[in-house]
Amino acid sequence: MSPGARLVAVLGVLALVLLLVGAAALFVGSAALSPGAVLAALTGRTGARSIESVVTLSIRLPRIAVAALAGGALAVAGVAFQALTRNPLAEPSVLGVSGGAAFGVVIGQSVGLGFGVLGAAGLTAFAFAGAVVAAGAVYLVAGAGRLSVQTLLLAGVIVGLFFASAITVVISFVDVNRLGGVIHWLLGNLATIPPASLGLFALTAAAGLALVLPHARELNLLALGEEAAQQLGVDAERLKLQIFAGAALLTASVVAFAGPIGFVGLIVPHALRLLLGPDNRLLVPAAFVGGGIFLLAADTVARSIVAPAELSVGVITSFCGAPFFVWLLRTRYRALL
Amino acid sequence: MIRTLAVAGLLLVASPGHGLGVRDMIGRDVALAGPPARIVSLVPSVTEIVFALGAEDRLVGVTDFCDYPPAARRKPRVGGMLAPSLEVITSLRPDLVVATTEGSREETVAQLQRLGIPVYLVAAHRLADVWDVIARLGALTGREAAAGHLVAGLRARVRAVEQAVAAGSRPRVLYVLWPEPLIVPGRESLVTELIGIAGGRSISASEGTDYPRFALEAAVARAPEVILLANHSASTGGIDRERWRGLTSVPAIRDGRLHAVNGDLLHRYGPRIVDGLEQLARAIHPEAFR
Repeated sequence: MSPGARLVAVLGVLALVLLLVGAAALFVGSAALSPGAVLAALTGRTGARSIESVVTLSIRLPRIAVAALAGGALAVAGVAFQALTRNPLAEPSVLGVSGGAAFGVVIGQSVGLGFGVLGAAGLTAFAFAGAVVAAGAVYLVAGAGRLSVQTLLLAGVIVGLFFASAITVVISFVDVNRLGGVIHWLLGNLATIPPASLGLFALTAAAGLALVLPHARELNLLALGEEAAQQLGVDAERLKLQIFAGAALLTASVVAFAGPIGFVGLIVPHALRLLLGPDNRLLVPAAFVGGGIFLLAADTVARSIVAPAELSVGVITSFCGAPFFVWLLRTRYRALL
Repeated sequence: MIRTLAVAGLLLVASPGHGLGVRDMIGRDVALAGPPARIVSLVPSVTEIVFALGAEDRLVGVTDFCDYPPAARRKPRVGGMLAPSLEVITSLRPDLVVATTEGSREETVAQLQRLGIPVYLVAAHRLADVWDVIARLGALTGREAAAGHLVAGLRARVRAVEQAVAAGSRPRVLYVLWPEPLIVPGRESLVTELIGIAGGRSISASEGTDYPRFALEAAVARAPEVILLANHSASTGGIDRERWRGLTSVPAIRDGRLHAVNGDLLHRYGPRIVDGLEQLARAIHPEAFR
């Protein structure tokens, strides 16, 4: 099969799975609607203000969109950071980049940025600034230049811990009545967000994806080493800057809208590498769809397992991700450590 | 009190052609199709008040934390205060959701409004606000008379407490909302006012905001004569008195005046807050209630 045909086939299959999981998620929820009622709402056979259509179209559908988008963004950010650092275990939360973005959002919230599309835009900007500072700090701590796998991970842990402490400093001054909300957000929660904010989220995620996707071939060359890539005509510095900006933007948009959700950028790219191999031209778009599938499935579990209460989706991804990380470390990447 | 009720009544003015317009406790206008008949309470205090007013037939949903009166447990639950299930709330077809500025998230309020469900916000920082909440819920549920009786009875009990402790000294009181980290009632807290009515002086009465964190050594330095440890439902188990017993320089410990009080009574602003006040007064002025 030609690479192009393979890409189309893989994306087709993944899109089909995403569609199926998304459809299944529409039928799951604490409101206990019958499948017939959901179908009726979807086909417009119920009144616009009926319970069926409000729950299906105004509560479940936007949340499914947020989950798919956030999962895709995090998975692509994972692929990008892994290629950028040439470190298979790199990922926004492991590298402390999510922590930096979260600190940015907490600062934004404490200066009064709140709801509405303007507030969301402001929080995204703060998250992006935080992500850039954190990633820069990791780079400096690890010692610029050739980064060994261990040093980079350690630097990520240190930066992550630093920002976690910085967040606790800020939230000790948060009004006690808002504290619950801030902590709820810090656990990583997908919520039904208004259409305008959803549009903004989609735009920022698309911008991040646009910075990474066209350079997938060059990322393959970068895997050979920077010098080799330069000799093959890749402007390595420029490429790294673009990929870095893209990955930071993807991470920041998710953190601003859903909070720091960990390990998606680790689980999804690795699962896909096992299936598809290491070619980034295939991996980057596949990760976008695959990440959507994974986070959507995780969120559907999160919102139904303790209904009518809800678990934070970040809890589910961490419960999956932490053991997965250990498994990767003990089996596939033993030699790297 | 009568004035409070009259004001609450005036707020229920019919706006032409569009049912009822009411204004909630933070001044938001809430549009209702008519007198609410299907209310979801996201606030345990509100649930208690609605039951006390005998309007529980209008209550179609409560939170997981609405545990009083016991009958509230039998109402459909919509989840916790922080993240109630929008789906469940919607499927209960409420014509009004009552939430609070202290404990409900602003996102929840915004989400409900987007779904076309009116949200009425309540808040109580003073005992007078508690009477106001009761009066407002009475007006909303058509139980104005019951609200009037309830408030009159509660106020009479508050006056009785005030009279009982009037002659006594005003000991310094450390009220422990949470032991670790130490959280105390501050300037804007209802508990601070209650301690005053119960004949004590809260050593944290002038601290910033409503529930500040407080250094243990600052608490010790202010030499409280009575220490009150609030317990929180059954979920947090017993109170750890041991960690306080070591502070032998503190007058309250020396004199054995370390008492437990029921946080569920004192931290909610339902009718039982006066039970809490009486408990406080007995702990601070045992001599007045012999």
